[in-house]
Amino acid sequence: MTPTAGLPDTRGAERAPGLRGWLLMAPLLAWLGAFVIAPTLIMLVYSFCDRDELGQVVFTFSWSNYTRVFDPTYLKILLKSVYYAAITTAICLVVGYPVAYWVGRAPERVRNKLLALIMIPFWTSFLIRTYAWMTILKSEGPLNSLLLYLGMISTPLDILYTPTAVVIGLVYSYLPFMILPIYGSVEKLDNALVEAAFDLGAGPVRAFASVIAPLTRPGIVAGVMLVFIPAIGMFAITDLMGGARVPMIGNVIQNQFGQARDWPFGAALGMTVLLLFAATFWLTTKKDPSAT
Amino acid sequence: MSTDAKEVMVEVRRVTKTFDEFTAVSDVSLEIRAGEFITLLGPSGCGKTTLLRMISGFETPTQGQIFIAGQDVTHDPPYRRDANQVFQSYALFPHMTVKENIGFGLRMKKVPKSEAQERVREAIAMVSLGGMEDRKPSQLSGGQRQRVALARAIVCRPKVLLLDEPLSALDAKLRHAMQVELKHLQQKLGITFVFVTHDQEEALTMSDRIAVINQGKVEQLGDATAIYHQPKTTFVANFIGQANILEGRVVSRAGRKVTLRLEGGPEVTLLADDLPDDATTAMISVRPEKILIRKQREESDNVFEAEIAEEIFKGATDQLMLRTPGGLELWAVVANESARQATVHKGDKVFCHLHFDDIVVVQGN
Amino acid sequence: MKRRLFGLIFLLGIFFGCKEKPAPTPAASAGPGPSGSGAPTADKPKPGKELNLFAWSEYVPQEVIDGFSKETGIKVNYETYASNEEMLSKLLAGGTNYDLIQPSEYVIEALVKQKKLAPIDWSLVPNFKNIDPKLKGLAHDPENKYSVPWMTGTVGIVVNTDKIKDPIKGYKDVFQKKYKGRIVSLNDSREMVAWALEASGLKSNDITPENLAKVKPMLAEWVKLVKVFDSDSPKTAFLNGDVDIGVVWSGEAALLYQNNKKFSYILPEEGAHLFIDSLAIPDSAPNKVGAMMFMDYILRPEVSKLVSEKFPYTNPNLEARKLLTPDQLANPASYPPAGERETFRDIGKIASEVDKLVTDLKASN
Ligand SMILES: Nc1ncnc2c1ncn2[C@@H]1O[C@H](COP(=O)(O)OP(=O)(O)OP(=O)(O)O)[C@@H](O)[C@H]1O
Ligand SMILES: [Mg+2]
Repeated sequence: MTPTAGLPDTRGAERAPGLRGWLLMAPLLAWLGAFVIAPTLIMLVYSFCDRDELGQVVFTFSWSNYTRVFDPTYLKILLKSVYYAAITTAICLVVGYPVAYWVGRAPERVRNKLLALIMIPFWTSFLIRTYAWMTILKSEGPLNSLLLYLGMISTPLDILYTPTAVVIGLVYSYLPFMILPIYGSVEKLDNALVEAAFDLGAGPVRAFASVIAPLTRPGIVAGVMLVFIPAIGMFAITDLMGGARVPMIGNVIQNQFGQARDWPFGAALGMTVLLLFAATFWLTTKKDPSAT
Repeated sequence: MSTDAKEVMVEVRRVTKTFDEFTAVSDVSLEIRAGEFITLLGPSGCGKTTLLRMISGFETPTQGQIFIAGQDVTHDPPYRRDANQVFQSYALFPHMTVKENIGFGLRMKKVPKSEAQERVREAIAMVSLGGMEDRKPSQLSGGQRQRVALARAIVCRPKVLLLDEPLSALDAKLRHAMQVELKHLQQKLGITFVFVTHDQEEALTMSDRIAVINQGKVEQLGDATAIYHQPKTTFVANFIGQANILEGRVVSRAGRKVTLRLEGGPEVTLLADDLPDDATTAMISVRPEKILIRKQREESDNVFEAEIAEEIFKGATDQLMLRTPGGLELWAVVANESARQATVHKGDKVFCHLHFDDIVVVQGN
Repeated sequence: MKRRLFGLIFLLGIFFGCKEKPAPTPAASAGPGPSGSGAPTADKPKPGKELNLFAWSEYVPQEVIDGFSKETGIKVNYETYASNEEMLSKLLAGGTNYDLIQPSEYVIEALVKQKKLAPIDWSLVPNFKNIDPKLKGLAHDPENKYSVPWMTGTVGIVVNTDKIKDPIKGYKDVFQKKYKGRIVSLNDSREMVAWALEASGLKSNDITPENLAKVKPMLAEWVKLVKVFDSDSPKTAFLNGDVDIGVVWSGEAALLYQNNKKFSYILPEEGAHLFIDSLAIPDSAPNKVGAMMFMDYILRPEVSKLVSEKFPYTNPNLEARKLLTPDQLANPASYPPAGERETFRDIGKIASEVDKLVTDLKASN
């Protein structure tokens, strides 16, 4: 136990954890070590190795896997993945923020029901939900039937297996990950602050820009990262709803451990993406004035 | 203080506010004059905040209208009303410095930068916050935060300033100091203040007029002395200061002069203006400090005998419980004179003297 | 029936680390194997109590597994995979001791090369005699030492004859500009390259850098025309009305034909190839005897028939075929006309070039 352990905790954030703290964190640290750090280290080692006929790792040292990462084919795919992830994140933010705000401001008993509604989709498997969307969007699906029936279109819309479908699928899957952290921030936001902004002459837009948004920034940052980062690596939705026409970086990595039989290169790609994630994380959290 | 001649700045016209089934404000009408310091006083939950929020625009009346400077603003959003509010929790923006907080309203109103800077500087000086411009609210004391909240509102030069228990978070000493400061500031700026408090002493010290609110209704509106000396209802009498509320039967009546026989006690005579002619009973309020206690009988409008049943030492005053031979109990307060010269004590038989003017007829609630 | 389901969890696992451990196996899997490896004594060698079967998802009917357990008392732990490569990764990573795996022919060849398979003791698998002789002694297992065919199939063309009236004979008829956006293709780079090679008059196994360069322009055109790449369930796109023509697994085609006779199946005239999914025993298997008993069990005609009913690929078991209905045998996708067909050979390291070629073409789309 540290000497300050018995004193009131005035500088909680800076205080080093005592023995008790370490003990409490032990399960988490063990988990991190076993399932995050160790595999990452293994992958790091692999990424500098060579491969055999079956694609398995042969221990040598070379940079060649990393030079291949910068092959235009893969760079192009990486950029495209980032582009899709960015669009998804932007839509999730624009759609998710008002929802989160509205839920966060709702009376408590309504709030829990609304939250439950947001979570309900998680009760079914991801694949089933994706197939459900495919059913909705297909040529002879309910959406097209409805639009045809209403006379809004004369030939079925081609949505499934297009980039639009991919974005719909991505937004659908990741929207809750945007809503929940923002909701968390909104719920903590003191309503008097919002009223003060209105009171001092700020209309809804300016009140949002100068008070609500800065004060819910931690939620926004968390939401953006929870959507953007996994969206870059997502491949199941692009395969299913996009008809696998546009490979994402996740597909490429997947293939290295599968058909391409090139584990070391897959590891190098994975490490590169990981580096990208780390950079994103660092950039978004670097200066966060309202973090305290 | 008579401000009759001045224009009406805020008018609340027959306003009712109900939440679901519950009526928080019920058919309230109120005219607030320009430059006036008016206080909404009442117990917790009586609807003060709700009334204030309808004036600032955060609540819409269920019925009735609100006017500010002659304009119907009943359905205007807060940012289109020429009124600013000082929140009970101060509601300072935690991500802005003192300077930015105070300048916020001016930025929103697009006041030119140089002018805004000047006005912010002035406001900071006015609330004596020089040197703290660049601090964040979290680095200020409670009193300093309170001043920032005040400066942030007055820098906008609103026609009306609405204050919702702005001093309740401060300790007693600071609160007294701030009361005086606030009053001075209001006189200097000439802004209409609508001040909410549940602290009667605060209300009496600061206000030009006080609206005593009970269960969503304005019980009495008047200046401090009128509210104190001529309470209209038992509620007002009890809520402001202390009062002996006594009930009596009308024994005789000669013009304004009415004589009552108090239950289990003596007869008292008083001057009643608004007691209905056919009234057979009446309720009266007697302030404890108005009962003059002597060992000898003296000349007075009313005199009766009593015994001191209880004596409570209160520092500057002694609180005495009097019991008449008929069993009527009432409280009196006397100045605590030098101990050696001690006048009356528990068990003493004394004479109580009461002036006509000090007996007020009140309505029961 | 889904040849390639998503190995989602598996892939997430390898995304951050490759050597994820397969699900733990019950301790009993270390049961007494055929000690002294082989050398069958006069008595029948005894099987272990449990059998770890590692097979394609939706390819082994539960009733077959139950029937085997009931008869032998051996408990079967059925773990599934979604692609040959997933199986390979898990097998090579070690961890679980699988007794029986279900690879396709080119993977058998690779595993044999790496000496990862145990030879089968045919005295324990007498029903092997039921297998079509034409499927014995093929390139991937020339001496019939390591594998027992489970199901075979072809890759061919499905046409919705309601929508497409033109005669379709081969790959070049499928990948035409006028069908742009109405085509489904397997999402499998090896397959696609094989088609392009066959369409160019080359052999599907002739994968060299020069040949890849040669077929690249043709593939580039093809990729642009395809609406959906799907290896898991290409029939879905047909049933949803999103495509009218495509190149798919024969099992998928057979199910489409069962659903509606308008879906006709055509083997490409440029040359079709055959895939053979077989059972094999890893050399690390603890319960080799049990594995061989399972092989023999599924080779019984009445058991094999159950598999055929659920998964209408081409049954290699001639005795079982005799038990099928005329309707089942008339399904052109299940039992296409006989002909000389190639099977895929192991291509080793160049697999990554094949993958890169198709990835590149798709990304440039
Ligand atoms: N949004 C609301 N929904 C339902 N009831 C409300 C709401 N706001 C206030 N009330 C009720 O209206 C009544 C008056 O509330 P108000 O806040 O005006 O009281 P107050 O006089 O300001 O009390 P305090 O001195 O405790 O601040 C209370 O009984 C309160 O419970
Ligand atoms: Mg209040």
